Amino acid sequence: MSRKEKQKRDTTAVYNEIKLDIPADEVWTYQIEGLKAPSIGKPVENAGRKKVIVVISLLIAIGLSIFFSVRAVHSETYNYEQLEDGWQFYKFSNPGDITEITIDCIDGDPSKPITEIREYAFNCDDKLTEITVGKNVKKIDGKSFYSVWNLRNIHVDKDNPNYCDLDGVLYNKDMTEVICYPIDHDAYLREKAGIKEELWPWSEGGGYDDAYIEKVQTYKIPETVVKVGELAFNYANLVTVCLPEGLRTIETLAFFKSTSLANIITYNAGGRYLSLPEGLEYIGSDAFSYDQALSYMFIPSSVKYIGHHAFWDTCYKEDGEVRGVNVMNVALGEEEFRTLVDSNDHWLPSYDWKLLKKTIDTNYSATRQPLENK
Amino acid sequence: MADIGKKVTGFLHDVKTHWKTPPEGKYVPYREYKDIFLAVGFNYSGNKTLEYIVFAASCYLMMYHYKLPYLTFSVINIINMPLNYIWTMMTWYIADNLGFMPKKNERKFYFVYMMLIVIGVLLIVFDPSVLFNQSGRFVTYMNSLEGISCSSAFKILGTHILWNGWFGARNIFWRKKLVPKYGRYKYSLYCNAIPKCIAVILIGWLPFYNIPDVITRVWVANLMFAIFNLFPFDNSLEMCAQNISPDVRERIWVRTIPIKLSHFLNSVVAILMPVFIGMLRYEWADINLFKYIIPGFFIFCVAVTMIFSGRIKERIPQPPLERKVSISFWDGMFGVMRNKYKWVNTVVNLIDSLGNGMLPFATILYLYTFRLSGLIYSLLVALVSFAGTPPDFFAPYFLKRFSYKQLMIFYQLSRAIGNALIVVALLFLGDRVNLCGTICVLVLIFMEMTKTIPVTAGHDMDIRINDYQMYLSGERLENFSGVFGWFTGPITSFVGLIIPLMLLKYGFNSNWDVLFIDSSRINIIVVPIIIDIIGYVLMTIPYLKWDYDDRKQAMVMEVLKAREAATHGSLDGSEAQDEPAEPAPADETPAESEVTV
Repeated sequence: MSRKEKQKRDTTAVYNEIKLDIPADEVWTYQIEGLKAPSIGKPVENAGRKKVIVVISLLIAIGLSIFFSVRAVHSETYNYEQLEDGWQFYKFSNPGDITEITIDCIDGDPSKPITEIREYAFNCDDKLTEITVGKNVKKIDGKSFYSVWNLRNIHVDKDNPNYCDLDGVLYNKDMTEVICYPIDHDAYLREKAGIKEELWPWSEGGGYDDAYIEKVQTYKIPETVVKVGELAFNYANLVTVCLPEGLRTIETLAFFKSTSLANIITYNAGGRYLSLPEGLEYIGSDAFSYDQALSYMFIPSSVKYIGHHAFWDTCYKEDGEVRGVNVMNVALGEEEFRTLVDSNDHWLPSYDWKLLKKTIDTNYSATRQPLENK
Repeated sequence: MADIGKKVTGFLHDVKTHWKTPPEGKYVPYREYKDIFLAVGFNYSGNKTLEYIVFAASCYLMMYHYKLPYLTFSVINIINMPLNYIWTMMTWYIADNLGFMPKKNERKFYFVYMMLIVIGVLLIVFDPSVLFNQSGRFVTYMNSLEGISCSSAFKILGTHILWNGWFGARNIFWRKKLVPKYGRYKYSLYCNAIPKCIAVILIGWLPFYNIPDVITRVWVANLMFAIFNLFPFDNSLEMCAQNISPDVRERIWVRTIPIKLSHFLNSVVAILMPVFIGMLRYEWADINLFKYIIPGFFIFCVAVTMIFSGRIKERIPQPPLERKVSISFWDGMFGVMRNKYKWVNTVVNLIDSLGNGMLPFATILYLYTFRLSGLIYSLLVALVSFAGTPPDFFAPYFLKRFSYKQLMIFYQLSRAIGNALIVVALLFLGDRVNLCGTICVLVLIFMEMTKTIPVTAGHDMDIRINDYQMYLSGERLENFSGVFGWFTGPITSFVGLIIPLMLLKYGFNSNWDVLFIDSSRINIIVVPIIIDIIGYVLMTIPYLKWDYDDRKQAMVMEVLKAREAATHGSLDGSEAQDEPAEPAPADETPAESEVTV
């Protein structure tokens, strides 16, 4: 029989062919050729020794596993990694009672300066409220303060040549980039304004009032700033943000899940106008995702790049009406926009439509809505 | 055309004739096929619905509501690991003896389990951590763990002890009561269906996710899920249906047609569920998913399962319960350790653990890359999972044409290649969402298609290995097979920490929003997949040692039938139960069997 024929053969046909003659007294002991002999009701050979071996091997395996696992899951409160020119602040594990820390030197030793703060160094900490950046820090990753839920202020040593802070908000030294607006900064502003109770839209008495919004939930980015950094305002409890007209770049996830953000206002020497500044060139991916309080968006003609999902989920359907950013206003004409702007997939928001999703309409060659209409 | 018509008429006539009695030489009547289709289908769908409720980071309840630190799940596993050895020993002894033990042993077991319940409750209610020096190394170390404190660690341990005591006592009680009536697989449905429905409702309605302190939230969630897991609603009817006949070909036929068709019912549920979820205000993050949608689907599935499960029978050639070989603990343990093929599978599983702790890639792709919800999500998920169904109808052909060894090596290599393509797409096209996502979906479809037949072969081989075990030891020792887990457990629990620790470094913790950051998402997905690829390639090596073929299986079945005939004959002089419709070798006395080998 050729190899091909053998392969084509029904291998299960063997079930019809095989019949065994098993003597009645060998039913429980009959050994099949090529397989081990059955062992039913027979004592195990060297059972005692085998039991000891099993137990000892298990104890060793369990002991080693626990030892290494315990070491692996434990981390020191402060973790550092040595770099060529200093140390990197690698990870902070809050034992539960630390609310303020200073990142300057390891154990106060000036010969061990901390020069870098790694991304996600404080990831998901919910106890820290104040962080002080020392004079030696040269590099802070945009994601360093990601998800530090109760962080109110980031202070920077005045002698730091690379960074500074403006009332608890982190900037680079020449104030051209805003790096981090702490997630709970509004709590600090509330305290500063002498307001005891935090207000929400659903709070008794109608929620936010203008005075509360102005003192606690409004932030004016200085006019020197040209870039809003990656994740700079993510989860910020802001209602109004004022952007300088000189702003050129809004980085990835810059205003991600700033769900109260209702007003984007641009200012210049001559006054203020609604929505994104003229001169803005870059809008990163997910820059305004999930900001459902927004209701108006205008893309100026200067924009050259829009990242994927830049305005994702900024609209939603309620009582049969599309709310939030329900139409995208674009300064350029349709043809110009397609040729001049590098827009990525799904940059426009979409809303529930029957069982599917529908992208909102785009209003090309639009003119900017006056501020007083808002 | 006329031929087809004749065949259809003939088939319908055959179905009508053998609706209640099996065809000649077979064991399963057609009415049971219908029951398998409905009962297994809804049992499977109910079981799949429960995949939405697990004590793991990937569960939407955890992801959006409880928000527990990712590493905490691994820490809880480590706390529970050492004691698990004791519980599993006890459970195997009970399960492999089907709950029937000498009275004295039974009383001892009940005593131990009741004590465990008391100790567990005491550890949860009182706080033994006050007995330790609060500034000592032990307390300081425990307090430094993610999401855990020394006090909560004792509550977690207490939960584990309470769970095992309660589960163990239930195990003896219900097995003794129900196994004689419903068999070793089906019985668990009858004691768990109603409590499980109640637990599913409670888990959505109890607002423990509002507890502000993460440490309290962790131990309370752990306790709640422990109680939820006390009542398993496993896919036991499918297991029962896979053992529906002593005839291997009939088993494959049942597995290929009614069982596979029954999985279509799950596809319908899998399409409908996200459509309903898409209608919720906050979609996957909406708590109403757990309050209404999941309980609604689950209770419906349970009801249909229970209606049609009655007539499905397991038909393993075995001595009657009263003549069952009694297995002592060490005999059971050494018995399974003699089975070479279980060792091969153990090595494969050990290598497979390299991927433990990975986040579900497909979920991340759908929710964070594509941002899907509603019908489109359903259709895409259904398309990918359906891709595995058509090849299953060709399973009998492939099982005849290729050896198990060839199929499994092909399986591992196809997974390695598929995952490598995903890595390339993510690394080089990560910012082109549509293109990258489309390539990933196509690869997922390819992997689903190439998975089906090896998985069917694997299920079939698992049953065969148990047949071989029965030949070796006189019992299937399915639970004692867990002894391999004893040796691999410590290794896998340590290896399983590698990926979570790595993900922590890339920013993944209790806040899943980090997956919206492109650079982090790529690291979080790609690095674990690369580790997985290495695992797949290594997993081909143990299969080179596989030599259990159809010829050996046929001989094993001959021996088992001879034993069955011998024990039934000596018990009451009657013939074997569940014999095929026409006289078959099982009815012959062993001495009369014909020699053809």
